[in-house]
Amino acid sequence: MQIVTEILGNVFALGPIAAMIGASILGVFIGALPGLNPVMAIALLLPLTYSMEPLIALGMVAGIYNGSMYGGAIPAILLRIPGTPAAIATTFDGYPMAQQGQAARALKIACWSSALGGTASAIALMTIGPILARATLAFGPAEYFWIAMFGMASISVLVGKDAAKGLMAAVLGLLLGTVGLDQLSGVPRYTFGEPWLLGGVDLIVILVGLYALPPVIALAESADLKGLSAADLKLESVKVPWSEVRGMVPTWLRSSLIGIGVGILPGAGGNIAAFLSYNAAKSASDDPESFGKGNPLGVAAAECGNNADNAASMIPALTLGIPGNVVAALVLGALLIHGLQPGPQLFHQNPGLVGGFMLQMLLTSLLILAVGGAAATRIFAQVQRLPGVLLVPTILVLMVVGVYVINGRPIDLWVMFAAGVAGYFLEKVEVPLAPIVLGLILGPMAEQSVRRALLISRGDVTELVTRPLSAVIAVATVSLIVWPLVRGIIRRKNTRLS
Amino acid sequence: MERRQDLVLGALFAVLGISAALKAAEYSGATGTYPMILGLVMTALGVIVAGKAWLRGRSTARPLTEHKGRAALTVALAAVYIALVPLLGFYTASALVVIVLPAVLGFRQPFYLALAALIFTLVVWAVFSVLLEKPLPDEFWLAQ
Repeated sequence: MQIVTEILGNVFALGPIAAMIGASILGVFIGALPGLNPVMAIALLLPLTYSMEPLIALGMVAGIYNGSMYGGAIPAILLRIPGTPAAIATTFDGYPMAQQGQAARALKIACWSSALGGTASAIALMTIGPILARATLAFGPAEYFWIAMFGMASISVLVGKDAAKGLMAAVLGLLLGTVGLDQLSGVPRYTFGEPWLLGGVDLIVILVGLYALPPVIALAESADLKGLSAADLKLESVKVPWSEVRGMVPTWLRSSLIGIGVGILPGAGGNIAAFLSYNAAKSASDDPESFGKGNPLGVAAAECGNNADNAASMIPALTLGIPGNVVAALVLGALLIHGLQPGPQLFHQNPGLVGGFMLQMLLTSLLILAVGGAAATRIFAQVQRLPGVLLVPTILVLMVVGVYVINGRPIDLWVMFAAGVAGYFLEKVEVPLAPIVLGLILGPMAEQSVRRALLISRGDVTELVTRPLSAVIAVATVSLIVWPLVRGIIRRKNTRLS
Repeated sequence: MERRQDLVLGALFAVLGISAALKAAEYSGATGTYPMILGLVMTALGVIVAGKAWLRGRSTARPLTEHKGRAALTVALAAVYIALVPLLGFYTASALVVIVLPAVLGFRQPFYLALAALIFTLVVWAVFSVLLEKPLPDEFWLAQ
């Protein structure tokens, strides 16, 4: 009871409340601007949160995340351009509705569906998270090591097209994580005599480079010089009848469950949740032919599904240190900034902070209803009048200021630049970036855990797999890595036979 | 195209991995074991990626850029901007890049460009220098 009072007191203070409201509004703007996405926005935000209270920083992350997932629906409905990848399924029925003069109705349904999906997801996080965290009390160094490996393997294998490339990216992140003074022996590694490398490679510097520079280059390449005209963004206010709202309840329930399920799975993102929810709504409908032609249930399913993924993706991130998606990986980065090690001990060592963040995920989902109302949506839609080329240097400036203020070193700007250019090309050759970040986050924990486990066992390597729990996670990790290879061989055999 | 890219990518990672492993061999005891294993694993994965590309035989187009000229220009101007920040000061260099980069990319409305640069620089100054009091590189024209 004392912890609940503490959480409520901390979250409902002026700073966190202002952070959540401001970030939710900013999040909708970011989502509404095609080319910007929540990952880039949170990566840009993180450097500025060093000196902030953790719950202010995390409140901002929660607001931007939930706000932008709704914001992505605005251009998806008005222009058939998804503001975020998760809003692709929203275009299927949202845009036809807009063409039939029902844009405001579609936006209203998207707003309610996003809020409901996000709320259901936050409730799942608040109920499943603590239970899972309690189960992790039995973990020792060997389990921590395998959990870190499982997290990296799952993201590496599941997010990209080629498992080998994903694993290669994870190992790159792990190697980057070894740069600097070895925490156990104090020996400098891969520093090449440079004093600025003794502290290691700064996670946030790499994050900003990897996730902000590639979209900036892509925006420059598209060279949008005009933006939209005011006439394109004229919206008429409408009321959605109660009977229609009631008819959406089964879709909202189904999509929420799908989104939560997808969110918990590492490697799957909001776009998959939205697609699955959309398909489920279509399959369950008496009139599946109307989907894709402006059926409001299509918008409701897609938007509810993608927002239901948000908080659920934090369940494995907060309890096991395995992020369900890239934003969850960034949340782990935010926790590291404030000296908190993500992983099984987080719930036990900082229950107030974790509980506060879970509550913030819930509150920012509900805030969508307030900041995404009809009038507000009309205002947010106006950001699409901004020519894309003006965004290119502005994001660049925000990247520079964000990275410079971390350590006050110009060299960090070059590290960010190099990471960004490398990230741009790595994405082009289908090397996923998320495993690099995850390797950087989980690498130090993995190394310390394995070395501690070996110290305890006096160098006996079998100790890593002899405990039942560590053996189970080890088998799961190896299976995850080996399965794509086996599947590939089976497919090739089948192809040859046919 | 795709095949050649993966061959180069695999080879690059294999070289990076073997270099990391060799460097790790210089560190004594457990300090070097972990990065050495990582280096060797990276080498193996690089070889797998290159090997798969080699065996694939066919190759499909996978462009590295959407628009080579604009991508190169943006990267080059970003590098110049980063080089200028410590020399000219944060706000001077930032105001320059906000004006020059869109103009180079084809935005030909000087009034709007100047207005956007002015408003954006003022917002950044108000947020970072006034509100958050973050120390940023000094302006060259303010130096004593």
